[in-house]
Amino acid sequence: MSSQEHYGSRLPHRLLVGVVAAVIFFLEAPLLILIIQSFTAESYLAFPPPSYGIRWYKEVLTSEDWLNSISLSLIIATIVTPLSLIFGTMAAFALDRGPKNLKNGLQAIMISPMVLPHIVLGLGLFKMALQLDIDDSMLAYIPAHLTITIPFVIISVGASLQTFEVTLEEAARSLGASRFWAVWYITLPIIRPALVAGAIFSFIISFDEFIITFFLTTFQRTLPIEMFTTLMYQVRPSIAAVSTLTLAVTAFLTAMLILRGQITSGDKVIR
Amino acid sequence: MLRNSDQNYGALWLLTPTVLLYLATFLYPLIMLGVLSFAKFELSVTTLGFYLDNYNKIFNDGITLKIFLQTVRLSIWITFWCLILGYPVALLMRSCTPKMKMVLLFCVVSPLLTSIIVRNVAWLLILGRSGIINDTLIQWDLISKPLPLMYNEFGVILAVVHVYLSFMVLPLFGALSSINTSIEEAASSLGAPSWRVFLSITLPLSLPGIMAGCTLVFILSMGVYLTPVIMGGNFILTLPMLITESVREQYDWPFASAMALMLLLAIGFMVVLSSGVQRLVGRR
Repeated sequence: MSSQEHYGSRLPHRLLVGVVAAVIFFLEAPLLILIIQSFTAESYLAFPPPSYGIRWYKEVLTSEDWLNSISLSLIIATIVTPLSLIFGTMAAFALDRGPKNLKNGLQAIMISPMVLPHIVLGLGLFKMALQLDIDDSMLAYIPAHLTITIPFVIISVGASLQTFEVTLEEAARSLGASRFWAVWYITLPIIRPALVAGAIFSFIISFDEFIITFFLTTFQRTLPIEMFTTLMYQVRPSIAAVSTLTLAVTAFLTAMLILRGQITSGDKVIR
Repeated sequence: MLRNSDQNYGALWLLTPTVLLYLATFLYPLIMLGVLSFAKFELSVTTLGFYLDNYNKIFNDGITLKIFLQTVRLSIWITFWCLILGYPVALLMRSCTPKMKMVLLFCVVSPLLTSIIVRNVAWLLILGRSGIINDTLIQWDLISKPLPLMYNEFGVILAVVHVYLSFMVLPLFGALSSINTSIEEAASSLGAPSWRVFLSITLPLSLPGIMAGCTLVFILSMGVYLTPVIMGGNFILTLPMLITESVREQYDWPFASAMALMLLLAIGFMVVLSSGVQRLVGRR
């Protein structure tokens, strides 16, 4: 056969590129349209907007309801992130350094909240919160969010620990450093990208969490709940503005993740 | 040399905080849902015990089973479309330049980290009765009445696929990039046309990725609440919606718990099925 027929010849390749371009358009176009619409100066949503302005951003940033829900979500995510990082990193170390024969089983248990549908987890947590009379409070939100963010830290830090040269840490210990300080000064700085990734995942997941918090709240409203409630009532340009603000925060954090190459090394995790 | 780290049970104490948390927020709630699902709910009073009333109700009240099967059907369609749309992306990601790979990776991963509700809002603005598509078509006089693009299965499936596509592409990409390209090159140098190389080498070898991606997307789709509510209005009912309603409106905890267990059962079945298939293929 001639070289024209070799694997990846032109026509199928072009077809593939075309299909992928369409899929990427499907993925990204709605968000672009949303961002453009949020800058409308009209009192209704239309595309393209007849005139542009930041009217709806002003409205969002001066509305008490929006500001309250934004700050509640930020407070929860800010408390959850460091706790999730500490709990998850400790667990990842335990799995990495603990008995090898138990590792797979323990790891499966430690990341199991990931495969439990949030609707079921939310239902169970709601019942427990009612029994303890802590529903509609931080005491309920924080442990609930931790349960779903910790697995991401375990996976991210665990993958990094697998490629870490333990001999570096042992060298420090043989020079007289205690186990804790050897980890603190040698291991943690080396696996820092994974810690950053774990923290960013935790923050974003907590900030966006809807259904579990929806069960746990009665009067308080986090940002996703406020958005949902508004949406069910009426679709106004303010919802596009809030969405764009949320998008800006998460896009910034995602870009940081990818530029640091964390996702590419995440291939290992998925395999 | 047997290093002490090979059997280092001492390191396990580091699990304590997470284990304690999970006992309270994961194990206890699940056990309680299990117990409650066998309780009796009569005249707004819950009586604990071993009654099968709730499970009986799921199968015999004429509507719950239908909604359950509808949820399964929707999840299968969502998984199917994620696979169809995700596979080409993973395929291209493997063979393109590193720079292009980064771009594609960004496009695939960014939705993963964008709020689900934000993406639903975006679709609402596009597919709604006075959304972009209907507005444009009416302006151009192509249609006189808005097309029903949402508040139906089409809108729900489209929006959920948009949300979960990344969960399909990542395992697929992982499986595809672990395939040794020299096998494919060998086949094509021996004269196999590229579609043949794809069908008899690339596709079968990527099966673990396909199974992993499909299982993940199916599990996620079975439990999704937000998108069907927003995109389906009250016209599409799914099991998660039924669970939420029976707790928040009727306080019928036993029935909601039984439905939650049904959901877990369906998911467990899917996991067992996919690991069985993978073992079967691995043995071959």
